[in-house]
Amino acid sequence: MILLAKIALGIAGVGLASAGVLCSEGVVNVKVVEKQPQGFHIHVVAPAMLAPIAMHFAPHRDLAKAAREIQPYMPAIRAALDGMRDSDDVMFVEVKEPGEHVEVAKSGGSIVVDVDDAGATVHVSTPIRAISSTIDQLAAASSNSL
Amino acid sequence: MRETMRRRTQIATVLCMLAAGMTALVVPAVAAPGERYLHVNVEDPTKGEKVNVNVTLSMAEKVLPAINNHGLHDGKVSIHNAQMNGVDVRALLDAVRTAPDNEFVTVKDNDSDVRVAKANGNIIVHVIDKKNKEQKVDVTVPLAVVDALFSTAKNDELDIAAALRALSDAGDVLLVTVQDSTEKVRVWVDSRNTQD
Repeated sequence: MILLAKIALGIAGVGLASAGVLCSEGVVNVKVVEKQPQGFHIHVVAPAMLAPIAMHFAPHRDLAKAAREIQPYMPAIRAALDGMRDSDDVMFVEVKEPGEHVEVAKSGGSIVVDVDDAGATVHVSTPIRAISSTIDQLAAASSNSL
Repeated sequence: MRETMRRRTQIATVLCMLAAGMTALVVPAVAAPGERYLHVNVEDPTKGEKVNVNVTLSMAEKVLPAINNHGLHDGKVSIHNAQMNGVDVRALLDAVRTAPDNEFVTVKDNDSDVRVAKANGNIIVHVIDKKNKEQKVDVTVPLAVVDALFSTAKNDELDIAAALRALSDAGDVLLVTVQDSTEKVRVWVDSRNTQD
């Protein structure tokens, strides 16, 4: 009985540790709500660490093409991400039009995009660290393809 | 003896509380890094449209040198000599810097009014375009920023990154306002991360 309890405790510990590692880069939060009587309602919360890991499973040919295209902008993207990581929370862009509202902000280490228009409301929150890791993976794909 | 010990303990306690209070007052002031923000606000009340952009100057300073595209490279932008029309801008700036506050240029005609002046360490330009919906443009640029802009060794370059650094050191300043019958545009720098 005690042995079983120890095994269960071990499994629970490994599970907790795995969850901790997976969530160490924060979580990506995507929420889409259609403004229709029977419109869809999607809410996905996923560990941000999955994004750079998923890059390993993307087709190499497609990844290399994307990597080549993004390569000229990599220094600017990296500098922008570094700058965003170091800056305080701030609303970068806010656009208000009749029936439409768009916000792009940095909040608590994440880039948050909110769109509210006549058709739907969209909320996307992605940790800056995860964006950096994914961009690094993309850059590595470019160097590997050379 | 015991009374003296108690009094010393009380004094020490009061001193500790004073030190803690001082630390609590000082630490937030030290911790706040004094981030500066460049704000852009565009409003068109007739259409109910509004655009706000807020960028930290430190981020702009980091990103700008990383962009190498067209005339922009290493935080500097190349300008053609032809655009200067043979004017020695550095000599002109030196003359303006040493001159007292004054109105240097005033042009008034049927199409526009233009005024260029120096006041309180700023270059101020006012333009009223009478043909274009009575568009009014006001530009205020601290002289330190203009100096930084022309601080490169080459005559055909403007150092935008240096100008941003100078802008960080300048106080709160309303850089540009453009207003016509429908739209209003404002560009300014301050230490607030919102436009409210």
